Amino acid sequence: MIDLAATFEEHATEAAAMVWRVKRTPVALRDVVALATGKAQGIVLTEPEFLPVPLVDGLRGLAGVIPKPHDDELAVADVGITEAFAAVASTGSVCVALGRPLVAATSLLMPLNIILLAKERIIERPRDLFNPDMFDGESLKRNLVFITGPSATADMGPLVVGVHGPHRVLILLLE
Amino acid sequence: MADIDSKSPSITPAAVPPAPKVDTPRDVANKSDKDHLLRAIRMALDIESSTVRANTQHFNKNRYRAAANLPDYDDLKDEARRIKDKSIANLPELIQTLKNSVRAHNGHVFVANTAADACRYILDVCRWRAAKMVVKGKSMTSEEIHLNHVLQGDGIEVVESDLAEFILQLADEQPSHILAPALHYSRERITALFKRKYETDLPLDTGEALTFFARQILREKFLHADVGVTGANLIAADTGTLMLVESEGNIRLASFAPPVHIAIAGIEKIIPTREEMAPFLELLSMSATGQSMSVYTSFISPPLADPPFAMASKALKPREFHLVLIDNGRLKMRDDPVFHEALNCIRCGACLNSCANFQTVGGHAFGGETYSGGIGGSWEAGTSKLENARFAELCTGCTRCVQNCPVRIDIPWLNANLGNRLNQTEPSTAIKSVLGSMSDADRVDRSTPVSKMFFGNYHYFAKWGSRFASVANSFDAGRKPSIRTDSSDEGNTSFARVMMEKWFGVDRRRTLPPFPKYTFVQEAQAIEPPSSKGREIKVVIFAEAFTNYGMTSRGLATLNVLRELGADVVVSECVPEGRAAMSQGMIATAKQHARAATRELDPHVSDGRDIVVVEPSSLSMFRRDFARLLDSKDRFERFRKRAFDPVEYVVKILKATGRPAAGVFDISKSKVGHRLFYHAHCQQKTIGAAEPTVQLLTDIGFDVVTSNVECCGMAGSFGYKKDFYDLSLAVGADLFGQVVQQDRDGGARQLIASGTSCTEQLHAGFERKILHPMELLETLIERQKESDKVVKDAEDAEVEADLEALKRSKREASKS
Repeated sequence: MIDLAATFEEHATEAAAMVWRVKRTPVALRDVVALATGKAQGIVLTEPEFLPVPLVDGLRGLAGVIPKPHDDELAVADVGITEAFAAVASTGSVCVALGRPLVAATSLLMPLNIILLAKERIIERPRDLFNPDMFDGESLKRNLVFITGPSATADMGPLVVGVHGPHRVLILLLE
Repeated sequence: MADIDSKSPSITPAAVPPAPKVDTPRDVANKSDKDHLLRAIRMALDIESSTVRANTQHFNKNRYRAAANLPDYDDLKDEARRIKDKSIANLPELIQTLKNSVRAHNGHVFVANTAADACRYILDVCRWRAAKMVVKGKSMTSEEIHLNHVLQGDGIEVVESDLAEFILQLADEQPSHILAPALHYSRERITALFKRKYETDLPLDTGEALTFFARQILREKFLHADVGVTGANLIAADTGTLMLVESEGNIRLASFAPPVHIAIAGIEKIIPTREEMAPFLELLSMSATGQSMSVYTSFISPPLADPPFAMASKALKPREFHLVLIDNGRLKMRDDPVFHEALNCIRCGACLNSCANFQTVGGHAFGGETYSGGIGGSWEAGTSKLENARFAELCTGCTRCVQNCPVRIDIPWLNANLGNRLNQTEPSTAIKSVLGSMSDADRVDRSTPVSKMFFGNYHYFAKWGSRFASVANSFDAGRKPSIRTDSSDEGNTSFARVMMEKWFGVDRRRTLPPFPKYTFVQEAQAIEPPSSKGREIKVVIFAEAFTNYGMTSRGLATLNVLRELGADVVVSECVPEGRAAMSQGMIATAKQHARAATRELDPHVSDGRDIVVVEPSSLSMFRRDFARLLDSKDRFERFRKRAFDPVEYVVKILKATGRPAAGVFDISKSKVGHRLFYHAHCQQKTIGAAEPTVQLLTDIGFDVVTSNVECCGMAGSFGYKKDFYDLSLAVGADLFGQVVQQDRDGGARQLIASGTSCTEQLHAGFERKILHPMELLETLIERQKESDKVVKDAEDAEVEADLEALKRSKREASKS
């Protein structure tokens, strides 16, 4: 039996993402996010859709969180915190469901993207998400983006991490 | 300076020859005439080759590694191909379904018959939204329709946001690769370009600095753009979902930030359902860059629900989505019996990266105004005009792309047909008629250019060369086959070679292989065959022209080794099988040759004989190409199943008889040491006939290093041609380099090559004996036979001595 979390962690790290395992408690989550964001002044949060609201609510009290950001604040924010719809063990990808306010922005615009991933949402192969039985068929109806590490380019000669999207992707694996 | 010049006529500008104009990629983008193609090759070899080589080979290496880690790679390919076949078959219905799906969630769909229609629609949308700025993600289809030109002509600022396209926009160049359009740019050249265009003092001397610089410029553009234009990798008809694959994040930004999103896609991108996108997910990324997944793979059915991210008042406007589906020749391609195959392409670039010629010159030579590489010719022909696909002549038919294509497109076949159709556009002339008639080329092929007619009927000219071997061989008498490092060397200036170059395009710098005094068939007939009694394994060696009129010793070694192993072996008559004709686009002649070869072999096959083919490119005809050249699948299967590479057949015999390789072939008898460098033929690798050679030689005990180039660059006739001689040697440089490197690492290795033309290419680099694997095996088995004879003679002598002693003792006993 494949250890999905361990395999995911291995492949996500290969793809230049960071994976931290975190206890699924509001306090543990808040402490880890505080550590990861440091003194960042612009932190943008999205409303949780798959994780319990109380778990994520604690993050709103962190210094630097912008409660209702305008576009011009989004343009200069440092950190976006996004929730994962699913993740793929074989590739180290997280899958983010688009559509709810700020999800696209937090997963794309800021230099650091923190992604909250519930351990039980890890699947083995990308194609498993196209199985109509997976997650009640939601994955075949939603707008989704698979994110595999930080944005990158090889167009400028050597591989450069950090282009139009985040320079760093931190995945908090909630156990 | 002007004063000095005016006083000194000898150094006036007029006296100095003007520097030859250096072509830019744009100058040679359109290759509808041969001159542009040749100039493009020169330009690419001079300026772009080293960067293209490094980048394509990097992609190529990564893809092989990723494919090895994907357990169901072949199954995914089959599944993807089934979906594409089904989609193309049902394309009109899918377009209608897709229209309904997109409109159901308030999107707009426009099906453009032509490039002009597409541009007009997009321009109308931009005008309607009073757009001043459009940001674009990478889209080859937008290049195909020349969208930028049209929008800019209307005063709209068009910003290419993919960093590669950003570079090309600054440089005013066309893409050199369908996936990585600025693959030909080194970091140093990008630095120079940015500094020149932006007049900045920033050093910009690292990839990070360049990326940061470009990102700053482009982020501002994204924030203020009115319209975002993207392509689409696939579109699901049932839901209107776009699959968008990228690494930089610019496509996500282009589809999400501005209030208007226009997606441009060829109609071949439509598949029936979103569920069926699954196999492409891993396959596309892996085939493209060797990544298990690209950084971003989006599945969106626009318009998106959340408000557009944009500055000023644009956020107040509702989102709008337009899907522009482009025909522009695709439906005509769909109806074409050959070129409908190209519609399967998912634009991953694997065929480009696995092509030795592409690795050496890139898409500015091996490509047209938009599409490049092996698959590019069919697309240029399909979406513009046939003549624009002339660069497809750089496809040598080596077949290395065939295995690597994720949807199993037979790209060499497409290019052979492009060559064929281009041949048909040539005028008929008296000399062509005479040559065609003499060589019995099919009438349909008699407008083929003279040079191609010559190479395509190699068997005919080789037959006459062989009959007058002493005369033909005198053409190159005294010339050593080695690389001319002196650029002033004009090659062999003898009258005959000058005429061969003029008439047939055979480069004077390439030393021709000598014709043997006797053909392989003649030599074989002169050997008394052993009794066939008790020999259950029955073989016919197919005497193709390359072995029969060229390297006869390979054929003879095969004959001898197989007989030593107990097979009943006969040799066929020499008949062309169609390889040479097909390589020149003479499809009708190739079919004629394929039928002739199989007719010759029919009685042998009926007699229960397997077919052994020494030359790999000929064997590949039996195993692959006859499927398209013979009249039925049954005919193809009849020969495919029985055709073998000689070493492959040796392995089969050893396996069948349970003999270990090292017990039959004695390495201690090797005259060439134990260290080998083996170069397998490109087509031999594709049909899976190379591994047995490496395995057998290793099992015998040899230390075998194999070349890892896709092709040696000679590729049959390609390296003999005046037009491509330089390119051929540039491709060969990788192989030569590997040999030299191995020589440095522990002394020279014996060179072993399976292909005739590979051997010729190696001869151009090294003055050494190059052996076919069967020639090496023959020395081992022959020498073993000799030593066996010595042992037997010794044993006989001992027995005789014993007998003599016995007789003597009897005589002495009778005396007493």
